[in-house]
Amino acid sequence: MNLERLPNEEKLTLCRKYYLGGFAFLPFLWLVNVVWFFREAFIKPAYTEQLQIKTYVQRSAVGLLLWVAVLTTWITIFQHFRAQWGEVGDSLSFTIPRGTP
Amino acid sequence: VPILMKLKNGSSRVAGVLAVQPTSNPPEGFSPHTSCPNENTGVYSETYGPSYAHCNVTMWNPLGTGISYEEFDFPIFSVKDDNDTEVIRRCYMEHNRAVNGSTPQYPLCAMQLMSHMAAVTDTATCMRRNAPTFSLAPDGVCDPLGDANIWASTKPLNSSTKGHKDGVSVVIAATKLDSRSFFFDVAPGADSAATGLVALLAAASALHNATAELNRTILYTFFNGETFDYIGSSRMVYDMAKNDFTVDLDNIHSILEVGQVALGPDSRLWLHSDPVSKRNSSVNVETLVSNLQAAAAGLNLSLGEPNVTQPLPPSSFQRFLLERPIPGVVIENHQTSFTNKYYQSMFDNAEYLKLNYPPNLTPEEQLELVTDSAKALTEVATTVARGLYLQAGGELAQMSRIQADSELVSKMLYTFLVRVNNSWFDQLVKSDWTGVLSELMLYEINTSERKVKTTEPALMVQCILANLTGSIANITEGNCQDKKMDKDENMNKDIYSYLWVQGPVRPNSTERDSFCVRSLVRQSKALSPAFELSEYTSKNYSTWAESRWSAIKGRIFLVASHDLEMLTLGVGVGVLLMSLLLTYIVSSKADILFSSGREPTNATY
Repeated sequence: MNLERLPNEEKLTLCRKYYLGGFAFLPFLWLVNVVWFFREAFIKPAYTEQLQIKTYVQRSAVGLLLWVAVLTTWITIFQHFRAQWGEVGDSLSFTIPRGTP
Repeated sequence: VPILMKLKNGSSRVAGVLAVQPTSNPPEGFSPHTSCPNENTGVYSETYGPSYAHCNVTMWNPLGTGISYEEFDFPIFSVKDDNDTEVIRRCYMEHNRAVNGSTPQYPLCAMQLMSHMAAVTDTATCMRRNAPTFSLAPDGVCDPLGDANIWASTKPLNSSTKGHKDGVSVVIAATKLDSRSFFFDVAPGADSAATGLVALLAAASALHNATAELNRTILYTFFNGETFDYIGSSRMVYDMAKNDFTVDLDNIHSILEVGQVALGPDSRLWLHSDPVSKRNSSVNVETLVSNLQAAAAGLNLSLGEPNVTQPLPPSSFQRFLLERPIPGVVIENHQTSFTNKYYQSMFDNAEYLKLNYPPNLTPEEQLELVTDSAKALTEVATTVARGLYLQAGGELAQMSRIQADSELVSKMLYTFLVRVNNSWFDQLVKSDWTGVLSELMLYEINTSERKVKTTEPALMVQCILANLTGSIANITEGNCQDKKMDKDENMNKDIYSYLWVQGPVRPNSTERDSFCVRSLVRQSKALSPAFELSEYTSKNYSTWAESRWSAIKGRIFLVASHDLEMLTLGVGVGVLLMSLLLTYIVSSKADILFSSGREPTNATY
């Protein structure tokens, strides 16, 4: 979808929908928000709705970074320690690799 | 062995080992098993004879290195020394050998050994992963070790009524029928298992006609899986204690176990007994010992009791003692430590037993040849048979008519240790079974996949025992398969078992005269009680399991140098970039390159 053709109010509602949707444990919506609306929020010359779009993009970026941090930490810990957790590790896993502990 | 341990410790640089089997047994002996076999599942522990536990008094297997139980991160394959091995040697000589101190040049010879194993860590982990919590269609990763015990009684016993049988007094004659080695599938077990097995089978044959009038019943039991912490005997004792077997522990009068009985140059056998239970005055081992001494009178061997107070050697009898103090004796060819230099290794084979068949004989002639080792083993079998006869209430005067057949012993030794595919065994085999047995039969207890599958050694013993102790029943194949004497009779199928046997080849044709053998031979499940109770970390029962594996194979090939590989990759990447660049240039100048010279304005659509 080409944002060029949309009127500014619709750009704002779209940005707001993606922002609110990301709170439903959907960090990819925030990623899309940041990437898609970056040009609109920071590079284009100012228009009335741009301030609001800018805040949405900033908050989406913060939420995204938080998610990335949490997921990276958990994945690292799990991959490293799953073997040592024995039964707990196995009950948390969906597929367990064969031939390695 | 020190080489293997060194390889194990430097294992990041070792990817695999290929070992060539030597053509003759190493004279200094080799045993990859532990030096104190089955020390944690025997009867001696902190609560029973603690001074005898963990081989404190006698180290049974002093040559044992324990490498069968070490974990190696790389595959170790064993090959025979034949044409394929020559190819491997030649490949190395031509390509990998350093000449005059310089490093060998590419292309080099490389080998790939594939033996992927699915299971890891320990039995509890892999049994848990057999049935994971979220799974669509789980593939198991390991199976418990299990097979079948074979047992037979001399008098008919109703096997559908389990538990104690009033008035039945049983003498158990036990032996084991499995062995192992460091490598998979090369486990002949000649002294450790085959001698005892053949001796007991020959004794059963010798006693065949003499047992009807005896007071007590003799129960021949052939246990499977004894090498791995007494799988078969612990299961049978468990079944007896739970009243899930034809007789129970109170029916047992005494136990005679036949262990490793290959006779050495002094022709002596030793009668081992348990010092702890003997202190109990109700346990009468002296009668059994004196019966055996009487049985050996006049034969070419001598029996003695060890003059040291020492515990029982590793034997199935120990599992019975865990439940009840029963009088019993284990017959072995060693007074203290094993005389078998190749215990549980691939060298415990026909050559070790000196079964020397001259190579110029045909297989049929070899089958008929009675070697000296076979004659010696026949004396042992006769002793066992007479001893059992006396112990079961037979009279001394009648004893001398019991004699084991040396030709039978020789044929059985040939079948188990040299070649299964011979005319004697072919006649005894079940007729829907031919083609299943492979050429050289080797022991090793096999795995079960939740339902116990009986593998070839146990089936072989079952067929042989049925033919030796059963009688021919003159009935049709249909009735034989249905287990009845004629089509109206129903009561005997819990007592007798029927086997439709292939029979001898008719002269001048390929047809066989098949017939039905009715006998008292049965199978019983040999799966460790730990798996029945799902106690995978049990300390009392064997918890051995075997990993599932995909195809085991190896191959050799020549491998190119690293520089050549990088060059090929570089050229490929270069071609890719060039083509991208070219495409970009062409597409940006497309209007210049592809203009046809005409004005494109008046095009009508």
